[in-house]
Amino acid sequence: MNEDNLSILALVVNASVLVQAVMGILFIASVMSWIMIVQRGIFLSQAQNNFRAFEDTFWSGVDLAEYYQELTQKAKDIGTSDGIENVFRAGFREFNRLSQSDKVDPDAVMEGTDRAMRVALSREDEKLGVNLPFLANVASVSPYIGLLGTVWGIMDTVRGLGMMQQATLAAVAPGISEALIPTAMGLFAAIPAVIAYNRYAAKVEGINTSYETFSDEFSSILHRQVYSR
Amino acid sequence: MGWLLSLLSSSMNKSLSYGIGVIGSLCVHALVLSVLMIPSSQDTKSIIIQPQYINAKLVQLAPKKKIVSKPKKIKSNSAIKKREKQRRLELAKAKQKKADELKRAQADLEREEERLDKLKRERLERERLAELQREQVAAEFAQALADEQVLINVQEGEEEANSYRQLIQQRLSENWSRPPSARRGMETLIRLQLVPTGRVVGVTVLKSSGDSAFDRSVEQAAFKAAPFVELQQMSPSLFEKKFREVDVSFSPQDLRL
Repeated sequence: MNEDNLSILALVVNASVLVQAVMGILFIASVMSWIMIVQRGIFLSQAQNNFRAFEDTFWSGVDLAEYYQELTQKAKDIGTSDGIENVFRAGFREFNRLSQSDKVDPDAVMEGTDRAMRVALSREDEKLGVNLPFLANVASVSPYIGLLGTVWGIMDTVRGLGMMQQATLAAVAPGISEALIPTAMGLFAAIPAVIAYNRYAAKVEGINTSYETFSDEFSSILHRQVYSR
Repeated sequence: MGWLLSLLSSSMNKSLSYGIGVIGSLCVHALVLSVLMIPSSQDTKSIIIQPQYINAKLVQLAPKKKIVSKPKKIKSNSAIKKREKQRRLELAKAKQKKADELKRAQADLEREEERLDKLKRERLERERLAELQREQVAAEFAQALADEQVLINVQEGEEEANSYRQLIQQRLSENWSRPPSARRGMETLIRLQLVPTGRVVGVTVLKSSGDSAFDRSVEQAAFKAAPFVELQQMSPSLFEKKFREVDVSFSPQDLRL
């Protein structure tokens, strides 16, 4: 490595071990957080699309029993199912099971159905919110890690300055420049993570609200059905 | 972006979305790194370090000092020699007188032709020797005197000249703004042509540093620092001797690069 070269790469390579470690951690954190950002973006928009498609079909006047069968078949084919379909299927299954027997009280049927839907809802909520804590961690911690690297680098530089006979700007500048890289990297990792976390948290909130709204509406439909018999 | 993602993800399972995440993340980082690397390789040449510590030195100083130190030795040697010669001369004179008296006495007493001749010859020879010695001493004394006078002149002139040189050096340093391309080890030697009013009438580059911007900055410094009005107080002879043309070398020694 050329000594005269002040490029960022040269600074990184010539940095002290701790600063390099900090930079490595921050780089990994940045890569990981971007993986999460992309994956969550895909997942959440998928969930939103699914919800819209499901609502369209649901309110189009389709026979609920048939729709339930169709969704169950699809879930079996794919292996897993996500989102609002699970809530609907859990509620409908429970409702059918409870209303098969004649002796059951309508209140009990509704209670059981609601409980089943609530469980499914909380599972979906969990699925939506996965990885978001990681983004929050990167967002809040990586600036501090970067700052640690910077402080350490400046400490080294200043200590080296004490041993020099002549304290010129040229003697300190590369050290400080090198020390500032970790802060830059910390911010580089933190800023997208903060933005993504805030955006995705709001999105998860919105999806959850629409799931709950749907489950209430579905519950009212079932309620009507139970008491009109 | 969201719309694009939703298009992509109309039906997509979890592992596929993670795979896309990994690829996307790596792409983003590769892009950022390449953006960082490309301008930085160009930036390395344009790092500007402000010229706060400048070493502009007058190259004439060193040889002049040597000249100063030589006459000193000569002076001390010649002074000692001179004193010795004088003492010898006096001794010789005394001896000669004694010899004359002795000779006369002997001549009166013995009147021997042979001896007289011999003495005469002796005396003649001695006189001749003494005369020779005297001449030599006188010459050496004159030489020593002249040397000393020159030395005194040189010393006085040199002191004065040095103070003016320092002044010129300081002024040039203050007015020199180095170009970004200045590197440690570069050296430009210029010759200033001055007139007694202190104005700079000409600058010639005697030895180029190889970097034209650097040479130009040096020339500009010379013109910016002019006029050196202090030179007006200098004695005309000193000016003619030493400040009609001044050689200055510029070399930055505080730069890291």
